[in-house]
Amino acid sequence: MNADRMTWRERFNSAAPIIALSILTFPIIIGFIWIFISTFSHTTYGLEPQGRLTLENWSFLWKDPKIWDVTLNTIILSVGQTIGVVALSALSGYALSRLSFPGRKTFLAMTLILHSFPAVTLLIAIYFVLRWINRIPILGNDIPIIGGFGYNTLGGVILVQLALQLPLGMWLMKGFFDNVSWDLQRAALIDGCSHFRAWWQIILPVIRPGVAALAIFSFVTGWGSFLIPYTFITDQENSVLAAYLRGMMGETAPVSYGTVAAVGLFQLIPVMIFFIFTQEYLMNIFSGGSKGGT
Amino acid sequence: MEVSLENLTKRWGSAIGTENITLDIKSGEFVAFLGPSGCGKTTTLLMVAGIYKPTEGFVKFDGRIVNRVQPKDRNIGMVFQSYALYPHMTVYDNLAFPMKLNNTPANEMKKRAQRIAEMMGISHLMDRKPSQLSGGQQQRVALGRALTKEPSLLLFDEPLSNLDARLRISMRGEIKRLQLDLGITSIYVTHDQIEAMTMADRVAVMQGGHLQAYCPPSELYDQPVNLFVASFVGNPPMNFVNVEVHRENGNYHAQAEGIDALVSPKRGTVAAGRGQVVLGIRPEDVSIVPADQGKGIPGEVYVVEPMGRDDLVEVSIGKVKVHALADREKNYNIGDHVRLKFDAEKIHFFDPSTEKSLLWN
Amino acid sequence: MAVTTRTATAAPPKEGVLRKLRSASIGFWFMSPAVILVVLFFFIPSIIVFGLSMTNLSTSTGFQNYDWVGFENYHKIFTHPDAGPTALRTIFYVGATLALFNVGMALVVALLSTHIPRRAGFIFRALWLLPRLTPSVIYIMMWKFMAAASPYGILNRYFPFLGGQNLLPDAPWVFVILTNGFIGASFGMILFASAIESIPRDFMNAALVDGCNAWQRIRYVILPALRWPLLFVTTYQTLSLLTSFEQIFILTDGQFGTEVWALWSYHRALSNYWGNFQWGFGAALAVVLVVIGAVAAVIYMRFFQFNQLVQEPLVEAL
Repeated sequence: MNADRMTWRERFNSAAPIIALSILTFPIIIGFIWIFISTFSHTTYGLEPQGRLTLENWSFLWKDPKIWDVTLNTIILSVGQTIGVVALSALSGYALSRLSFPGRKTFLAMTLILHSFPAVTLLIAIYFVLRWINRIPILGNDIPIIGGFGYNTLGGVILVQLALQLPLGMWLMKGFFDNVSWDLQRAALIDGCSHFRAWWQIILPVIRPGVAALAIFSFVTGWGSFLIPYTFITDQENSVLAAYLRGMMGETAPVSYGTVAAVGLFQLIPVMIFFIFTQEYLMNIFSGGSKGGT
Repeated sequence: MEVSLENLTKRWGSAIGTENITLDIKSGEFVAFLGPSGCGKTTTLLMVAGIYKPTEGFVKFDGRIVNRVQPKDRNIGMVFQSYALYPHMTVYDNLAFPMKLNNTPANEMKKRAQRIAEMMGISHLMDRKPSQLSGGQQQRVALGRALTKEPSLLLFDEPLSNLDARLRISMRGEIKRLQLDLGITSIYVTHDQIEAMTMADRVAVMQGGHLQAYCPPSELYDQPVNLFVASFVGNPPMNFVNVEVHRENGNYHAQAEGIDALVSPKRGTVAAGRGQVVLGIRPEDVSIVPADQGKGIPGEVYVVEPMGRDDLVEVSIGKVKVHALADREKNYNIGDHVRLKFDAEKIHFFDPSTEKSLLWN
Repeated sequence: MAVTTRTATAAPPKEGVLRKLRSASIGFWFMSPAVILVVLFFFIPSIIVFGLSMTNLSTSTGFQNYDWVGFENYHKIFTHPDAGPTALRTIFYVGATLALFNVGMALVVALLSTHIPRRAGFIFRALWLLPRLTPSVIYIMMWKFMAAASPYGILNRYFPFLGGQNLLPDAPWVFVILTNGFIGASFGMILFASAIESIPRDFMNAALVDGCNAWQRIRYVILPALRWPLLFVTTYQTLSLLTSFEQIFILTDGQFGTEVWALWSYHRALSNYWGNFQWGFGAALAVVLVVIGAVAAVIYMRFFQFNQLVQEPLVEAL
């Protein structure tokens, strides 16, 4: 009867979304495949490598000492920023969620507004704030490794990026804390914990997945950060990986795509690895946060 | 430790949590806070614990006002409905935690934890995490944790509500026994009147944020002070009928359409001549006989609910329906014509507008 | 027996200021590091930006010779020949990217990926998240290569009818919208997908029993459930797009007619575009965006009933 035709249509119906999705996702897939291929070839016409596959593009790893300095900077930046964001968001998220103090509601409203602020347009003024910090003895310019917290220091960049991520971090952590049962909090307080102890020993371990998600997201953001380091560190091509990469790119038609792609892939690999192992956490961080209205 | 509450009031904006709760708890006493959800019993408990700050009134431990004392300094143990065990710690760590916070020396900690674990029957579970325990086991760990710091006051917030019926009954007895042995003053919040009646020395009944009654269970049952208490306590619940009480030939009769019941003189005098009053009688004090077998109020069986040991028979008398507990053997059926008799000594009367008992106040 | 009533004793001792401070101090200790940073890098800069916009501070005036010029900068903006076109461009950019990708594609991908086996849906959404996580420089480079001249460029290689020249100068907006869109879509996609997945099964089943086909189900069951996420994503992403310029900066640096308002401000103030850093003027340009952002934020706080989200803690300070 019509049985056969129905199954054809059914089959089409269930395959159609997948086909449609594949078409839409195509540019992304192609793009990343290209990056991968071109690192191993001299030049590519489209996706096709010309000539033999080669490791020459990767020679920067052993020929160019700058790359390791830049990578180190990027690591310091990402790690510093991540620690800062997680610590400060965890502390203030707890207070916003679990403690009552005057100004709490106002501050919550404030962070929501800040979160939607054109934060990047404040760069102009942040420039002046950083220059002012330069003038503070020791903190301004003389801290080892990160240089200080002022303009043209890695520490300064860490502070700025950390600050710009705080509104999001605070709301996300608040959301996670909100999901912890009040009974657990009360039990801790009755058993003898001070608030700080309850925070550190009881509540924080319970939301470990959330903390991890925030840390991952923050690290990935810091790893790829471009604009802030570019703007606030004068030696633009030697600050972080992203800036270094841009320096290599030059105009709209760079000469050696292969090498550029190799450096780019070098920067991309940690993200990919993180990504493969932590997809679920990252997905949850957005939907968990959305319940709090972020 | 003695606990006393004086005019304890909690308001959130215009919403009332509790109003003017005043009662005293003797040292070593087991008191239940009983009432439907939203009546303010948990709110009161949390004010005693120091989690909520009273809007007005005082909480006193041994005569000392503790309104401003932090929960951790009140030397109390609390058992929650959700157990609130620390999920990332083992059972042993959960038990030891309050002691650790109190800077108890290490070997004393171990000894006490072991002793309490044995008392609660969980010593074989010391290395497990809460997620690996059953509900009943978690509840025991929660109780153990409340005890390890050797508190002067034990607070229970509906601890058995999440357990299945069987377990609830056995835990009830265990908690009661435990409290008797240890002699710690205890406050037990519940909405289950059976729990309150079986476990407590005195029961505080609350509704709408107000204290309705505060007395031993037997008094609560036999001498309810108002309509609410009478209806809330006792299962199956009390019957209520609107009647007028008249004196005839030296006897008191409670009368309504189709109903004429004899009332004992002691009870009758209070209700007579007041116009309409509410009559209350418990199903077990209503005797039921087949219509041809005796005298009494005529009625027709509306529904029969077998309860195992007895049958709960609902009888319609005109427009009114009355429940009676009948012997299972009698085997009543829907439509049977029967006669009811109210035990004259067990009839209660209530004022229809104030809802207060006319007998006990 | 009867309830004992005692006459009310004195009310609890009056609240001193010191007492209030002490009970609030825990909160402050927890908050202080974050508050310091927020003040340093949000509040103070906002004030500075407003202040700066009232001066003609630039590297040519230096820090010794600048003047307060009041609203002159704003006057300059509104009479500037570039202002109109830039504003229009920005509106076009925000509108097009929002409609096509940040809301459009987000919705499409969310709908599609929730109608296929769960694992597969997960993989597709993860792929769409990739652009957001990729360092922007490499991500833009990828797109530059798509547009490159033949024989290198991917598009020119496989679609010869495109002509063979570098596509970026000829169709800059296509690429601006594409690059920003693929990043932006992931935000909405995740919110929509999780909203769709939390629609109670019963609704879906009821619709099936009632005989809905796929389109009807989308229209009558799914879209109503997405009302709030849609509103939220639209508002939030509008702001995001309005103020984002990093990708455009890397892709075209504003050339070929792609300089949006935020980039204009950045160029004037922080890059040697015009031979000097024009802090005052650049700040004024930024203020325009800040004002729009603040107004929009207040509006959407109303929409999302802020008060509901901010419940008082259930453990009170004594």
